Parts: sequence; C-alpha cells; structure tokens
Amino acid sequence: MNRLLATSALALALTAGAARAETDPAAVVATYADIAEAAYADSLATARALEDAVAALIASPSDETLAAARTAWKAARVPYQQTEAFRFGNPIVDDWEGKVNAWPLDEGLIDYVDPGQEGLMGENPLAALNVIANPTLAIAGAEVDATEITPALIADTLNEAEGIETNVARGYHAIEFLLWGQDLNGTGPGAGARPYTDYVAGEGCTGGNCDRRAAYLAAATELLVADLDEMAANWAEGGAARAAVSADPAAGITAMLTGMGSLSYGEQAGERMRLGLLLNDPEEEHDCFSDNTHWSHFYDGKGIENVYLGQYTRIDGSLVEGPALADLVAEADPALDAEMQAKLTTTMTALQAIVDAAEGGLAYDQMLEMGNAEGEALIMAGVNGLIDQTRSIERVVTALNFGAIEVEGSDSLGPLQQ
Amino acid sequence: MRAIHAVAFAVALLSQPANAGVPEAIDAFILPGFARFSAAATDLARAAEADCIPTALRPPFNAAFDAWMTVGDLHLGPSENAAHAVAFWPDTRGFTPRALQGLIEAENTVIDSAESFAEVSIAGRGLFALEMMLYDEGFDAYGPDSYACRLVQRLATDLAAQATALDTAWRDDFAATLLTAGAADNPTFLSEGEALRALYTQVVSGLEFTADSRIGRPMGTFDQPRPERAEAWRSGRSLVNVLAEAEAAVALARRLIDAELPLTDAALDSAKDAASKIDDPGFQDVGDASARFKLEVLDQKIEGIIDAVEQEVGLVLGLQPGFNSQDGD
Repeated sequence: MNRLLATSALALALTAGAARAETDPAAVVATYADIAEAAYADSLATARALEDAVAALIASPSDETLAAARTAWKAARVPYQQTEAFRFGNPIVDDWEGKVNAWPLDEGLIDYVDPGQEGLMGENPLAALNVIANPTLAIAGAEVDATEITPALIADTLNEAEGIETNVARGYHAIEFLLWGQDLNGTGPGAGARPYTDYVAGEGCTGGNCDRRAAYLAAATELLVADLDEMAANWAEGGAARAAVSADPAAGITAMLTGMGSLSYGEQAGERMRLGLLLNDPEEEHDCFSDNTHWSHFYDGKGIENVYLGQYTRIDGSLVEGPALADLVAEADPALDAEMQAKLTTTMTALQAIVDAAEGGLAYDQMLEMGNAEGEALIMAGVNGLIDQTRSIERVVTALNFGAIEVEGSDSLGPLQQ
Repeated sequence: MRAIHAVAFAVALLSQPANAGVPEAIDAFILPGFARFSAAATDLARAAEADCIPTALRPPFNAAFDAWMTVGDLHLGPSENAAHAVAFWPDTRGFTPRALQGLIEAENTVIDSAESFAEVSIAGRGLFALEMMLYDEGFDAYGPDSYACRLVQRLATDLAAQATALDTAWRDDFAATLLTAGAADNPTFLSEGEALRALYTQVVSGLEFTADSRIGRPMGTFDQPRPERAEAWRSGRSLVNVLAEAEAAVALARRLIDAELPLTDAALDSAKDAASKIDDPGFQDVGDASARFKLEVLDQKIEGIIDAVEQEVGLVLGLQPGFNSQDGD
C-alpha cells in the first residue's frame, strides 16, 4: 500500500482547490491534526492518572489500590486506542509507536510466569529472562547489571533485546502484565489474577522480589508518560508531526487514508482479530492479561471513524470537530460518501456487539475457543466489516485521485512505512 | 438465476477481443493453479495413507508445496482466510511446535475425524505443521504404528480437504464474483477496474512479502542474522519458495495485460541468476558474510521485479495496488 498511496498525493495536489473544492483540503488536514493533538493529550492525561494510581498501589498495596490502578489503565486505553488511526502513514508516529503499544510480548522477560510455559520452543531465547527476579542478566552474550530497574534500563537494554520484537519491556502491555499477571484461564472465563501482595514490601510479599517489581512498574509507567508527552507535543501547534502532515495537504490526506486502510485491514482485521481466531489462542488477544480486548478493538474502529468524520469526543466529553474527509468525498462523489459512512457504521455495530457480549460475560478470549461458533461469528462480523470498509477506503483514494497516476512516489511524503 | 447471470456475464467478458485481463488471469492462471494444488494435496493424502514415514512422504509433500506456491500468496476471496490455514507462517512465537507437541503428548483424539480436526488451531494444521513432522528432528522419528503417524495422515487428508474446498470455492463462486465486476448485483467489485486492481494488488503484495519476509526475515541485521526465521528452512525450501513466488507473480502479471513485458522478464531472469549463486537453499548460512551478500543481491532483484511490474503493468493499466493484508505491523 505504501507504494501506491505515495502516487496519489501528487495528483490530488494538482487538482485540489481547482474545480470543485468547496472544502479546503488544508482545513481537513487541520482537523485531523487537531484530533491527534487532543487524543494524544488525553492519552497523556490518563497516563498521568495511571502513574498516580501506580504510586498509590506501591505506597500501600491493597485490593483497592490495585483495582484503582487497573481502572486507571483501562481508562488510559480509551483515548490511546483512538490514536492508532494516526499510525501507518505518519513516520513520526510509526517510528515511535513500538515504545508504547508493542504486542504481543513474551512476558517471561519481565517477571515470573506459569512454570508450565517455560522452555517453549519459540524464536526468543530471552522469553524466560525474568528481570524482576534477576539483578544480573545475560543478554546477547554480555552480562547486564540490572541491580537498579530504571527507565533507562528498560528503554535502552531490555526493550527489543537482541532485536526480538516480542521482548516488549515497556508500554501499555508491559504495565498491563504487571497489574494483572498472566491470564491462566486459557479460553475459559477470567482474566489475569495477580494479587496485590505481589507489591507488598518485606514480609507478605508474594511472587518474590516485590521491591523490584514495584520499581519496574513505576519505571515503566514513567516511561509511558514521557513517551506520550513526546507525541502530544509532536501534534501541538508547531510540532513535527503536525508540520509533516500540514506542509502539503495532499500528503496529509494520503496519510489519513493510509492510516485508515492499513489499520482496518492488515492490522486490526488481520493481525489482531482474524489471526487470533484462526489460532484459537488466548495469547493472541490484544489485551490478553486484562481481558480488555473488546474495548481496544472498539476504540481502534472508533479512531478510524473519527478520522473520516472529522470528529473526536474528548475524555471530558467535549467535541473536537472541523472540516472532514467526509465533506471532501461528499463533494467528489456523494454516493461514495454514503457508502463509506454506512460501512463504518456496520463495523462499529459489529465491534459494539463484541463489547456487549464481552461485558455480558463472554470475554474475548472465550470467543477464541476452538469450536465456539458464537464467538467466531462475533469476531468475523468485525473482521468482515473492517475488510469491507477497506474496499470503500480504496474507492475514496481513487475518487480523490481522479484515477491518475502521474509519477512513482511523492517526495513530499517521505518514506511511508508498511 | 444468479449463477446463470454470472455465467452469461463471464461469456460476454471472455468474448471481448483483449487477450489479457481478469478472465484470462482466472482461466489461465488462478483456477488451474488451485486445481493443481488440490490434485497434489490429494496425492499427498493418498501417499500418507499408504506410508506415513517421513522418507516416503517428503517427495509428495514437496510436490504439494510447489503447487501451493503458485497460488499461495493470493489473499482475496476464499483465500482471504483459508490461505492462513494452509500455510501458517511466519510463526513468530512457536505456535506450530507447541500445537503439535500438545496433540502428541495428549494423544488427542481430535485427529480421529475430519470434522473435529478442522477446528484445530491453524498452527497445528497445513503445510508448516506437516513440514515440522516430516523434517524436524524433534518430531520426525516416529514409527508406523504411532500416534504421530496417524497425526501426519490426518494432516495430509485435512490439507487435501482444504485444497479441494479452495479449488471449489474459487471455481464455483469467486471466479464469477471477479468476472461480474461492475454488475448491479455485485457489491464486491463495482467495476472491472476494481477486479483488475484486486488481482494486481496480489502481484505486488506477494512480491513484497517475498522480499520483506521470505528474504528479509532470515537476513535480520548484519550483526544479528536470523537463519531460524527463514521460511520452510527445515525442508530446505526457502530459496525454492522465493523463486516460485516470483515466477507466479510474474505469470499472473502477464495475464493481466496484453503486452510484452521485457523489463519484467529481464528482472525475473536476473533474480533467477542471483538465486543460482546461493549455496544453501534453506538460507542457514546467512551468518556468513559472502552468503549474506548473495541473499542481499537476491532481495534487490526481487525489488527490481516489483519496479518492473509497476512500470510495465501498473502504470500502463493505470493501476495502483490497493491495501493488502500485510499492511499491518
């Protein structure tokens, strides 16, 4: 896809503003950047709230403080997942994203795991490294001093150690693992059940090395806040990501469509939903420790819709809105705009049905169970909706491109990832 | 009525003067490809019934894999989901050995019927599960009266059933969907151009997958080559698969346009030439600097095919590939 959308930007640039543009493409891109700014700012604010909740958990571990931290984590996911539509077309976001939302992870890198899962024949020699239990580590043949677990150790040494992507030491899912622990219920009911006593200092500590676990959790949360701070600044007035999409509105619109299509099809429908279903594997669930996957999928879909409609509802309930891609498409081809909106609605209805079922007791990992026809139907409805809307996104690309391919590549775009 | 309509439409399109396009791609390339895969998988299943031991099954296994490679990178229509169950790769977290080990240790009776086995995780089915059983030293030492033998027989019959289902679905259903592009009752493809683009997307995305994954994954980085990430390295098919996919992509591209493709032909020849210089067909020598260099050259040649196809097919037909299933991270 990268190859092709690169070609469409130029054609749009040549014609936009000429014959038919009542809606200014630059204003559409400005709305997009405004939504990004607001959604990343909300992600930052909720991550700071998570940081406070984590500090409270560490200061006085209890069922209540652990529950509060979990609630804060789930709240932090709501705005963040809606930003995922800003990936796949914006190199500034793509290069950064792995720090915050990498998945799936070999969690044995970080902490204790079920003994039955050690010694798996995966590709990762560090899958059972257990940093929390081991102040001295061997990584890539070298000894690593992990006496102090700091943000720098996590960021510079542990994350993606030995170049292996599943060595995820930071981000939402590392924190999720530290708050919930492994979900050992397979495709049965129940999420991870880490006890608060895993954070009790001194006597009463369970799981061993509670002080190091607390240090890891605090450091990982601190990193998440710093990472989100960086991205929020990138989209604020004068930020690099905002500048990158605004410099050439056609390139900005290309980025919007690339993100919508790549997230819809290859990422969400493919990697996150269909693959897990075909594997019947609960570890192939996006939020596998917390069983929050239904909401992550829902807000991913919502983020795609936000970009098209030029609307985003902030965590305080206020609405960010402005000239939208939908307006641009409606002017070029009203029927196509209606089709696109209907497809987005179909997808959101399917994702809502998954949420309703999960909140009603059929958790996402239970839907993945071998032979669970109801779960399969729910997930495949989402997958099919996402694939189907991708076809309409392609039509939007064509409609805004006026069918012309002028040259290969657009310098203004820079390298589009994947 | 719908079927009749579809056939009528197909005839109408076929009767057009052009010698290339969607009908030609379907009739001369896609449908024969699935028929060959179905036949080869059926042969493999028969062979497994007669003798389940690896040495006996490796030749028909490779024949089935060869047949798959001509159509395996088509990810649309019936193949959209089914291709993953035939060929689950890359297996980044070791799901396939885990699934097989789980079945064998429990002597799971799920292998006793075709229906129950069809529900098993895709990691425990298809060509890569068979490859593990037939080539991996942790699995291939089974005897004729073992559970593993019966598992291999079930894997082979399941593969044959999948292949037959794919063949049927393409021939009896999705071919018509492509051929009736633009018809009022076809919501999938609103114009012939959309059908053409869908096939063209497969050409480009298949080649990209070959460059990025089949070659790129084992290459890793200079400091950290990843031979264990090569596709089908256990059976030493990594290089065979690269070439087979490239040839298949070019063959499909040729059916899409009624023109000579000199640049594309030259690029494919150049890739074959680069491939002939590679010593280890399983890419296990990628840690060696000169072997790595040869693989890098092959990678560039595959990229060269993509460029040539874009120039001679995409640009000429006014096609840009659509989104593809590899677009995620």
